[in-house]
Amino acid sequence: MIPVAGAVSLNLSLAFAILTLFAIGFYIRNNDYRLFLTGQRLSLASSGLSVISTIILTNELILGNFDLDYVAHYTSNETPLLYKITALWAGQSGSMLFWLAILSIYAIIVVLQNRKEHHSLMPWVIIVITIVQLFFLGMTNFVTNPFEPTNADFIVMNGNGLNPLLQNPTMAIHPPMLYLGYVGFTIPFAFAIAALIKKDASSLWIKTIRRWTLVTWLFLGIGIILGGWWAYLELGWGGYWAWDPVENASFMPWLTGTAFVHSIIIQEKKNMLKIWNMILIILTFTLCIFGTFLTRSGIMSSVHSFTASGLGPLFFGFVILILVVSYGLLYARRSHFQTEKQLESFTSRESGFLFNNVIFVVMCFAVFWGTIFPVISEAVRGTKITVGAPFFNQINIPIGLILLFLTGVGPLLAWRNTSKESLIKNFTIPLIVAFISAGVLLALDIRGNAMMTLSLSGFVFTTIAIEFWRGIHARTRKFDESTISAFIKLIQKNRSRYGGYISHLGIVLMFVGFSGHAFDIEDEWGLQIGSKETVGNYDVELAGLSEEERPNHYAYIADLNVYTTGGEFVTDLHPEKRIYFHRDPNPDKRQPHSELDIYSTLTRDIYSIFTGVDPKNQVGYFKIMINPLVQWVWIGSYFLIIGTVIAMWPVKRKKNELE
Amino acid sequence: MNSKNKFIFAVSGVILVFVVWVYWVSTSPSEGAKSMVEFVAIDDLFDDYENERVRLGGLIQDGSIQISESNLLDVHFMLDQDDESVKVHYTKTRPDLFKDGAEVIVEGVYTAGVFQADMLQTKCASRYEGDLRDESDYSMEEIEI
Repeated sequence: MIPVAGAVSLNLSLAFAILTLFAIGFYIRNNDYRLFLTGQRLSLASSGLSVISTIILTNELILGNFDLDYVAHYTSNETPLLYKITALWAGQSGSMLFWLAILSIYAIIVVLQNRKEHHSLMPWVIIVITIVQLFFLGMTNFVTNPFEPTNADFIVMNGNGLNPLLQNPTMAIHPPMLYLGYVGFTIPFAFAIAALIKKDASSLWIKTIRRWTLVTWLFLGIGIILGGWWAYLELGWGGYWAWDPVENASFMPWLTGTAFVHSIIIQEKKNMLKIWNMILIILTFTLCIFGTFLTRSGIMSSVHSFTASGLGPLFFGFVILILVVSYGLLYARRSHFQTEKQLESFTSRESGFLFNNVIFVVMCFAVFWGTIFPVISEAVRGTKITVGAPFFNQINIPIGLILLFLTGVGPLLAWRNTSKESLIKNFTIPLIVAFISAGVLLALDIRGNAMMTLSLSGFVFTTIAIEFWRGIHARTRKFDESTISAFIKLIQKNRSRYGGYISHLGIVLMFVGFSGHAFDIEDEWGLQIGSKETVGNYDVELAGLSEEERPNHYAYIADLNVYTTGGEFVTDLHPEKRIYFHRDPNPDKRQPHSELDIYSTLTRDIYSIFTGVDPKNQVGYFKIMINPLVQWVWIGSYFLIIGTVIAMWPVKRKKNELE
Repeated sequence: MNSKNKFIFAVSGVILVFVVWVYWVSTSPSEGAKSMVEFVAIDDLFDDYENERVRLGGLIQDGSIQISESNLLDVHFMLDQDDESVKVHYTKTRPDLFKDGAEVIVEGVYTAGVFQADMLQTKCASRYEGDLRDESDYSMEEIEI
């Protein structure tokens, strides 16, 4: 009975969404304010019903109602509660519903928040959001309905269960974060389209969406990082980024989104780059839909893809529709958004932002090219080609290094024009640091991209450190504050600036982590108990093998001791080889899984994978990797997140600002 | 040159450099050799692609997996593609889902009658993410009514 309520509320949500369009459409024609109020309430009702329907599906997943096809596919009686909930986004129809639910929650917030603001824009904002909702409502109602009953002529007693790879706490947070990011860009997009329609070239609405954009962009970033973290901890190939099509799909909107969060600062402060910002936000939103399309359509073969489904053409049509309508509208309205102000000098902050933007978009295009190249090649030449990580690395490393350089230079340039004296004052010490570190690295025989990355990191780090030091120094002298309280006050007084610096510092640290990849070492062998093998500067010894039966799997546990080649004990590692569903009489249904173990330090990770076991001869097979500096990627991520949170934290009212 | 044109010129320059760069990486045979690999069919493999680095996709023939007694990492198996099949040799860590009938992608070189693979990926098990329209992969406990 209750599942029917879920399906019905999904139907009703669709009906209310259509009514919303009518009500607001008539309001725009007749200007009868009551119709606008009706439209707002209909929109709230439609969104609320979508959310209710999602709650009902979640409830069915928790209860394990296997009469629903979706529940039977992705959960089982043995699935732990947490993963019964996360099954909501494990499959296709559930994840579509989840997308819709997040968009609906956002829609409710936007409608309520702006009841008394942006009177001319809001009707169009609601219309744009509702159209996007309608697309997903159409999907979940007619194409891939999560409330579909199980198609079997027997009573289903137990479901398939969730893939053990997905049974990891990170996997419980990674997809929702990504979705919060993907979906969130709908809101700035809706405001942009509304502004285009109303020819509103003021920067008022930009202020409204700035925080939305930052929050959304942060969610997307966290989602991407968690995905990498999960891959590193769970997938067992020793890396965190593989340039897989679906990873790229989330990275592309992040790149254009990053360009956008930078360039709206210019629009806010200087009322420039208005058309460019429109291009960026439309592009970012389109890439978000395209990303969902890549993930769910199965057009690319990738670890994430669900097998071929009917969604592809629909999504593709929607993407084309968004592009044609939005850019058509922008072209028609271009004269209203042009600015008289011009960039004055190459060494101005404006041009720093401009070049940062161009490079971000260029990088996005490079990733896009590599991602769709196989599809184009197959269509044009008939041969299927795969584009691997070396291609992406080769193309993107130089672009990334230019971006890293701009991260250091941009914030120190003055608006309009930077004087020669100021350039010398700001960049002499960082350049000296960069050259010294390059020299030291060369002396240590570290060359190529790693040398470039590390010395540029030194450069950017120094520029940031000097900025902080100057700010603190000025405060301690002027207000007689201690260094620590000056540091805190400095950030409090100018959150967006110093939050930005902290984020940049995070990026620098992440680049340091990336550079370690050049020195990865790995080896694999079979080990008998008591025997030893060498990888890099370490000896790995198999000290013991044990077996254990646990509630939902059977585990072989290795006891590895790691020594330096000098014989000094470093750590012990306990990777496991697990067999899930080990009691299933059909051997094909048993599911082996390697649970890895990592010894992580600031300088290097020792990463162990139990690849195979020969219980008869007591031989274990292992793959050991030495991955330098990986931890800095995660540390950098924390800085990036903290910096962004500081930058977007609401500033208290002016009254309290004056002490 | 006025300042607007100057900037258009600079931005176009950046984009031009980038386009040349992408073109160079995409076509450069020395550096790009390993980054772009062609997917081929098994019958083309025998005729046209001997000693060339390619990718193959197919199913592991039932019962064909032979794991060396002395080294568990050393495996031979037959890769099926419709009616064609080829012997594959692989000596690295196998993914957890490697088993009879699994859909795999291998990358390597075909020499002297054997495909020497140094990369092997399995597709996700149908058990979890099977085609939603196909009921045959249901594995749920049954009670006849």
